[in-house]
Amino acid sequence: MPADLDVRAIADQVRRGEATAESVTSASLARIRETDPGIRAFLHVATDALEQARAIDRKRDRGEALGRLAGVPVAIKDALVTRGIPTTAASRMLASYVPPYDATVVARLRSEDAVLIGKTNMDEFAMGSSTENSAFGPTKNPRDVSRTPGGSSGGSAAAVAGAMAPCSLGSDTGGSIRQPASFTGTVGIKPTYGRVSRYGLIAFASSLDQVGPFAADVRSAARVLSVIAGHDPRDSTSLNVAVGDYEGACDQSVRGVRIGVPTEYFAEGLDPRVEASVRAALAALSAAGCVVRPVSLPHTRFAVGTYYVLATAEASSNLARFDGVRYGLRAPGKRDLRGMYGATRDAGFGAEVKRRILLGTFVLSSGYYDAYYLKAQKVRTLIRRDFENAFREVDVICSPASPTPAFRLGEKSDDPLSMYLNDVYTLPASLAGLPAMSVPCAPTPEALPVGLQVMGRPLEETAMLAVAAAWEAIARDGAG
Amino acid sequence: MPAPQIDRTLIQHVAKLAHLSLSDAEVDRFASELGRIVGYIEQLDSLDTRDVPPTANVSVGRAPRRPDEVAPGLNRDEVLAQAPQGERDGFGVPAFVE
Repeated sequence: MPADLDVRAIADQVRRGEATAESVTSASLARIRETDPGIRAFLHVATDALEQARAIDRKRDRGEALGRLAGVPVAIKDALVTRGIPTTAASRMLASYVPPYDATVVARLRSEDAVLIGKTNMDEFAMGSSTENSAFGPTKNPRDVSRTPGGSSGGSAAAVAGAMAPCSLGSDTGGSIRQPASFTGTVGIKPTYGRVSRYGLIAFASSLDQVGPFAADVRSAARVLSVIAGHDPRDSTSLNVAVGDYEGACDQSVRGVRIGVPTEYFAEGLDPRVEASVRAALAALSAAGCVVRPVSLPHTRFAVGTYYVLATAEASSNLARFDGVRYGLRAPGKRDLRGMYGATRDAGFGAEVKRRILLGTFVLSSGYYDAYYLKAQKVRTLIRRDFENAFREVDVICSPASPTPAFRLGEKSDDPLSMYLNDVYTLPASLAGLPAMSVPCAPTPEALPVGLQVMGRPLEETAMLAVAAAWEAIARDGAG
Repeated sequence: MPAPQIDRTLIQHVAKLAHLSLSDAEVDRFASELGRIVGYIEQLDSLDTRDVPPTANVSVGRAPRRPDEVAPGLNRDEVLAQAPQGERDGFGVPAFVE
């Protein structure tokens, strides 16, 4: 990892006065100017980034203590509202929206003296797995520009992979942090549902959405997680429980830690190069003293169907708010109220968003609710029980984060079902509300990144981070 | 239950419920795509879930209570500045009653 991407080192240097927030921010902006025209990770670069940085430097000059992210540039997924900074969710619907408030996670970054460097590209309203569903054009994968960076948080992953920012925030509903982390060779964490406030996250599926960090290494991601985690009175689903010592967890011994390997995840559809890389990581963790053993998660193959019923149902309800009345787009032309709603939503939403609103409205509609929505809620219970049973015998569960390395731009964009099936390894932990993360393992022979997914028990991010950091150390030492 | 026929009529009905004005081409496209997706989802039918309770949320704790106190909200002028059509102190909409 380049030293200039180490979040903790940057914050320490700025706090000690060995670097200024302005110099760190200038370097990040220069890197964005140089690299981003070929990647398009950013939808908007904050015009006040240097001003934010200078304010932090002045604070230090006055002798005030600086926060845990002092002078650290953070790229923010455009699904998180930022006061005074345009926020579009990569949709025409919000193309000119400037929010009057900050998401809680953004306010927490600011209060720890981070610099909001810009807003990153994504699949429109976080609906997609490749960032190709952005209304403003796709993001390219910095590791191979003919490929997607994954999605929906593809811009946030690419910003870190392209060394344009040392860390970023994404959101994960069914894998939207873990899969892009896997595709770009970055670390991405989806916390336990309820660990991080969703206030100010433009809602996709409220029972699944979680905000989490990307960084170049596990400890940097742990630092950002420790800043954004914790109870928020403005989100009634945010849990009022103690936040763990996430950075300390990265230094814990993993000797004797029991790692479950779900048999169902190593099945048809798994790319043999991905399997080889993940199995090598597991063998190395075993050699380091972990107890690696098979577990069974028998309902895994029902996760995609379950997810696409529940997530679209919730989305159809959440996206009802985009009606052309209070903010965002209103389609021009003189119409009655219903005509204005319909024309606005037709003009403002892209094809994937409409597809999901239609599917979600269908599964909730009279005559179909029991057969689809209620049925999927029951299968969600079975998927959750699978994990409860497995976690009686193991401390964490490890698997590939995605069945394949990054696919090519355009490869799946005409086939929605094939795109959905790519999420098969990330959806179950989302449905069960578990903490889960992707950490890079050995790339394929073609040098495409591969991600090891580590899943933990609810609220046990620490156990998950310990294993991820242990693997990262082995990989680094092995690489010399 | 028998698989529903995802045809133009059903898509038009659902689009009306969702306040989406779709073009004819979109109706055709979504009928075909959603037909495939719903066909895939039918696999859930192979599971016997008669005695399984539904999971609506996965929260591991009770929703915390908070005191019912008045707190400042968003600035009205800033909020109204984002409206497509402001009207005096509110949001302007087309007439919806005669």
